[in-house]
Amino acid sequence: MKIIISNQSELPIYAQIREQLKEQILNGQIPEGETLPSIRQLAKEVGVSVITTTRAYSELETEGFIATMQGKGSVVLPTDNNLLREQYLLRIEEGLSTAIETAKTMGMSKGELTDIFHNLLET
Amino acid sequence: MELLEVKNLSKHYKNFDLKDISFTLPKGYIMGYVGANGSGKTTTLNLITGIVKGTGGEVQIDGLSREENEQAYKEKIGYVGDESYFPDHFKIKHIRTILKDFYPTFSADKFNGFIRNWNLPENKLLKDFSRGMKVMLMFASVLARDTKLLVLDEATNGLDPVMRTEILKLLQEYVMDGERSVIFSTHILSDLEQIADYIYFIHKGRTVLYDAKDELIENFLLVKGESAKIPPALKKELIGLEENAYGFEAILPSDRAELLGSVFLFEKPTIDQIVIHYIMSAGK
Amino acid sequence: MRALHFMKIDYVLTRKQMYFMPVFFVLAWVVGRGVTEGAMSLLVTCSYTLFVASIFSTAPFGYCTGKNRGFLLLLPATVKERVAGRFLYGLSFVALLGVLCAALWGLYALMGYELPLWTVAIGLCELAVGILMMALEFLFFYVFGEGKGNWQYLSNIVRVVPGMAMFFATNGFVGEIQDMAPAGTGIDLEAFAGKFMQAGVVAIMVSLLLTAVAAAICVKVIARRDYA
Repeated sequence: MKIIISNQSELPIYAQIREQLKEQILNGQIPEGETLPSIRQLAKEVGVSVITTTRAYSELETEGFIATMQGKGSVVLPTDNNLLREQYLLRIEEGLSTAIETAKTMGMSKGELTDIFHNLLET
Repeated sequence: MELLEVKNLSKHYKNFDLKDISFTLPKGYIMGYVGANGSGKTTTLNLITGIVKGTGGEVQIDGLSREENEQAYKEKIGYVGDESYFPDHFKIKHIRTILKDFYPTFSADKFNGFIRNWNLPENKLLKDFSRGMKVMLMFASVLARDTKLLVLDEATNGLDPVMRTEILKLLQEYVMDGERSVIFSTHILSDLEQIADYIYFIHKGRTVLYDAKDELIENFLLVKGESAKIPPALKKELIGLEENAYGFEAILPSDRAELLGSVFLFEKPTIDQIVIHYIMSAGK
Repeated sequence: MRALHFMKIDYVLTRKQMYFMPVFFVLAWVVGRGVTEGAMSLLVTCSYTLFVASIFSTAPFGYCTGKNRGFLLLLPATVKERVAGRFLYGLSFVALLGVLCAALWGLYALMGYELPLWTVAIGLCELAVGILMMALEFLFFYVFGEGKGNWQYLSNIVRVVPGMAMFFATNGFVGEIQDMAPAGTGIDLEAFAGKFMQAGVVAIMVSLLLTAVAAAICVKVIARRDYA
């Protein structure tokens, strides 16, 4: 498990922690059933406030990635494949949306954009 | 569970008033007490330790007030100031004896451990210690016994980055078990900002902002742009507008973000930036 | 108990001064010998010693200024215990020098000097005055603080003048007695020695009582004060 906090990032620190943990859970680097470090442990290691890590964990919990049990800590839940798929889909849509936005700003036509898309797929 | 409860704390001086300071700090959390020099930070912390007596309000640590049991109350506190509060012509051994006499929970082993780890000279008079050594000695003296609340008054001022980092780790370790809390005052946030859970910001003896740090940062935007383009509706919402020949910088409450349109640059502020712009808007 | 610990801190604070006290005591003996000899010289030595004691007993106040005081204020104790500790320091310091004087007295007795009982009584009175002056100076320091600028001069005068007065009064008294004795005025001081002793013991008790009163006043005065 690794967490790298950037002060330059526009993403708040709790979101950076959340996203990095999510990524590592989804790609299997943190396997299902693994116990995450406690909120306070993580705060100390990363050098951020306890409230920040608490928020990151509680959001991961609501999104169904981890479950926190009294006295046992936070355990990584099995990533159900639909969820995984959904997450990746979301990311693909996000990426494409950005491309479309940029294309619109410079007044590019639909045809030109799909051409670029197809060209990129080929390579 | 609250560890520190401060209610309507006030202190009247001839030319300065600290007024109605109220906050709570739960067990296991760290609070940054922020403000410019002379804003009342030290007065507040001295009121908490009981060195200075308030003209109103009350303080409870772990449910106990100083008036109820002064000795027990003071035992709960570990205080580190911005300059050494030990007599200059003491040596470490003198301090060790006194701590042993007064604090039942003082552990000489722990104390000696810190002294060794931080290479503090056992046989020098304190007046020959460097500033950093004096600060570390104060930390050793409070961490070698059981306390509930660490009160740090500008304790890391003028220390080199390595020491500051070490102190940050110590503070986080201190609150690790979720039973003890830290309140520290500072006028430069930088590295300490990272570990603070709550921020209390005072100016001229009055409360300006008090919130969880993450909330505070999310509640504001740092806005930059060309001065000429600021519409009047936006101008009156901007806090601490600072203009120069080429542009402006100010703080804006996040819920007013719709006034920005797409002309201005905005980004996540640091606590320092929020504080500085607030102080600018309030006048020095 | 904590009052005793505060007393101990005062001794650590003023430990340098303790090294010099034997020197002062020898000096006091030399001064006594310079003025006169026998029991009379002892009275002069005692008055000089107690004069020095009452001045030096205030030393902890000088070491406890500004930031140096923070440490004491943070210790888990009440104002009462802190003040009691300071007064115990003063009392024990004066008493310690009193003991030195008594030892010298014993030494003289062993060496075969004639030491009339009434001079012992006078010695006790001197001790009582020494204690009282210590208490008065402590009261002054607690009520007015160590002071700055002009106050500093005033507090120095307060430290020195009462002791000096006692010193000169004793010297004057010893001189009077010596003038009287050879002239054979017929006053047999030794006949009143019992009364003198009683007066001496009462004087000590009164001085201790007044010291306690002074300490109580100090607690009252500074209890609500900042940095006290």
